[in-house]
Amino acid sequence: MARSYLFIPGNVPRMLQNMDVYDADVIIIDLEDAIAIEEKDEARFLTCEFLRAHRPENLPILIRINSDEDSLMRADLMAIKGLDITGIVLPKTSLAQLERFTSMKPTNTTDLEIYGLIETPEAFFELDKIAKHPRIKGLMLGGEDLSTHTNIDKSLDEIAFHMPKSLLNFAAKAAQKEAIDTPVSSLDDAALIQGIKQTKTFGFDGKLAIHPNQVPLINTHLAPSKTAIHEARRIIIAHEKKGSMRFSLDGKMIDKPIIQRAQKLLDKAHRYGLLAGDAHAL
Amino acid sequence: MRFKNLDALLDALSLHDQMSLSFHHHLRNGDAVLNLVLEAILHRGYKDLNLYPSAIFPIHHTIETAIKEGKIHNITTNYINGPVALALKEKGLKGTLKMQSHGGRARAIIEDENTIDIAFIAAPAVDEKGNASGLEGPSACGSLGYVIEDVKHAKTKVLITDYTVSKLDNPQISSSDIDYLLTVDSIGDASGIMSGTLKPTNDPLNLKIARLSQAFLQASGMIQENVSYQSGAGGTSLAITKMFIETLKNQGLTASFFTGGITAQHVQALEAGLVKDLYDVQCFDLTAIESLRKNKAHHAISASDYANPNNTKRKIKDLDIVILGASEIDYAFNVNVTTDSYHTIIGGSGGHSDTAEDAKLTVVVSPLLKARLSLIKKSVSAITTPGEHIDVLITERGIAINPKRQDLLKRFENSPLPIMTIEALQALAYQFTGIPKPTVKPKKIIGTIESRHGQKLDSLYGK
Amino acid sequence: MADIITVGTLESSDCMVSLKPSKTLEIKIDTIVHEAFYHHIKTVVEKILNEAELKNIHLSLTDKGALDYTIKARLKTAIERFKEANNG
Repeated sequence: MARSYLFIPGNVPRMLQNMDVYDADVIIIDLEDAIAIEEKDEARFLTCEFLRAHRPENLPILIRINSDEDSLMRADLMAIKGLDITGIVLPKTSLAQLERFTSMKPTNTTDLEIYGLIETPEAFFELDKIAKHPRIKGLMLGGEDLSTHTNIDKSLDEIAFHMPKSLLNFAAKAAQKEAIDTPVSSLDDAALIQGIKQTKTFGFDGKLAIHPNQVPLINTHLAPSKTAIHEARRIIIAHEKKGSMRFSLDGKMIDKPIIQRAQKLLDKAHRYGLLAGDAHAL
Repeated sequence: MRFKNLDALLDALSLHDQMSLSFHHHLRNGDAVLNLVLEAILHRGYKDLNLYPSAIFPIHHTIETAIKEGKIHNITTNYINGPVALALKEKGLKGTLKMQSHGGRARAIIEDENTIDIAFIAAPAVDEKGNASGLEGPSACGSLGYVIEDVKHAKTKVLITDYTVSKLDNPQISSSDIDYLLTVDSIGDASGIMSGTLKPTNDPLNLKIARLSQAFLQASGMIQENVSYQSGAGGTSLAITKMFIETLKNQGLTASFFTGGITAQHVQALEAGLVKDLYDVQCFDLTAIESLRKNKAHHAISASDYANPNNTKRKIKDLDIVILGASEIDYAFNVNVTTDSYHTIIGGSGGHSDTAEDAKLTVVVSPLLKARLSLIKKSVSAITTPGEHIDVLITERGIAINPKRQDLLKRFENSPLPIMTIEALQALAYQFTGIPKPTVKPKKIIGTIESRHGQKLDSLYGK
Repeated sequence: MADIITVGTLESSDCMVSLKPSKTLEIKIDTIVHEAFYHHIKTVVEKILNEAELKNIHLSLTDKGALDYTIKARLKTAIERFKEANNG
């Protein structure tokens, strides 16, 4: 479970060597859209040398690889061979794309988690199967590409994105995978807060960030609220006191799923340093 | 006596070799007065001059030339930025360079250690009686805090202005202290006087430092009703101040006062009722000047009332929190803001050592890495502020508490904040940079850094 | 013969590496951290050139405070491009 997934271009030393300072829960080193075609080799070498020399401890790191051409994808896979990374982000994920990726030689990435970027209309007609793919760890919504491929103009009305958001979250939840929302492209705080509100409304677990300054707001708003933590703590305390999985609290029936959800929320709050004695959200 | 011509004024003054001349820096890099006066005096052939500018900026090329020509004996100042620093490194002075603090300069003038023959005082507005103010005119700069002691203690005092009005309501300088008045076409360039719109940093690393600082201040227990606070006008400081003011608002607290250089941010807090008083030695933007004109709780104060250690009414005596920067810091928490790591002067104390000594909590903030150089050294190239006055260092990768603050160490014992020793923090930096070749201290001494009490803190070096 | 190969940028914490064929091995290093790291950087560069068995080359490195990993990556990219250009 993570709140913030921050894209870092793979060809900028200053950002790579400070990736652990930005407070993102997960880092995505981008070899794809952030890198011009003539700089792909520079980014690959830089990313590899960085991770070999200075990989930050305790920070999940994904790499977004190239997928448009076989040669680029293969070069990326060769480069990341043996690197200590958590997983990869697969652009334009579809069943066919997954098949292409998992069978590509060298098959040195069998232990890596795959986060599928859902950014083509086709993907929505097989979303459940993508989500259930054993290698898939989470689904990410790629709003910009999806707009391009579907002619959606979300600048007119965000409503066009309601269905894709819901479908993606449902597919992920049905397969017990992570659902991660599209980034806000504006660097304006008000626009970001509005975007995060949608992220929460539609039930996503996390959100993509395209600039380090977006991370603190995402972390704060996607963490459990004070009220939610308070409520969960009361449920767990009552449960421990009564030693029962089924009891009433303030006239409301509490049973196993509610207790589990409360515990999950407290675990999450603790992970983000929000419980008494934890750090203030940094 | 009034003059409309510099030469006529100089004829009337008793000029001689080895005289001591003072200037103030409220016009910052827009100042035209120092160059104008010094050039004319040098043109008349005077030499071995002793200069007491409160600060030296890149625009002050006349000093640079005079140093190269060997016409300057001593320079006593609080801050040097630009080509003058390079000229000092190359050539040095016949006499010596003395770097003081704002409070130290005021004290030294009052106690007759800095003896000034003539103070040339750039005055943005002067009235018919000869009173002066910084609040009006094309070169308005707001508070004239740094020149007040010169006005009171120099043997001869000359106002230089380009703007005359019939009557000033609240003059900062009284005509009774003034001997001569010179009117010129222009005393400065407004674009160099104001720093433009000062904005909190947008840089992710500096914002991280600001967030950690805010979390540290919060956890320190220092943010309470009537807290007093000062910070610089750099981007990181402004970001911390913004968060500090938001905290006051969110927790329903009112600060007692802010001191030092004042910006729009401080003014907004005053107008929102989040701070009771502003004590202003210099205004950084037009909003601050406007506020000083109209708001009774916004006070212009002199450098002595700000930071003179022997002035019991000095405002910073009651300062709770100060946020300061660093060019280097060492294991003993000594801070250098005077030179870079190669002994070139890049600034000076200003109010750094003054506020550090007085404030209850002195916080130094800086990126841990500057390109490939670590902020933390085994020992700094020059001590601007002794480590005994620094309580905590906050960088993007960790926070080091000075071991002399056992109370703070104890308070943060179980803190989730990244608290570590300063040596551990340096080791972290070296993991990235590798270990640098030690620098060799140059042999030639060109001057000293002085504490505000007048004690030598360190030497300054030439090539 | 190939043109000059150039890799990297002149942004802070980065460096720019240029390679071109030469009759002898020439290394030119210009760095903003000369006093503290010049000799170290030179060792890093020489080691990589050695491993790549490049002798007839003119290398120019303009460094803006890059860490070792960046210097290595930029140089390795340049060498790969240089070899491709000169073998194919």
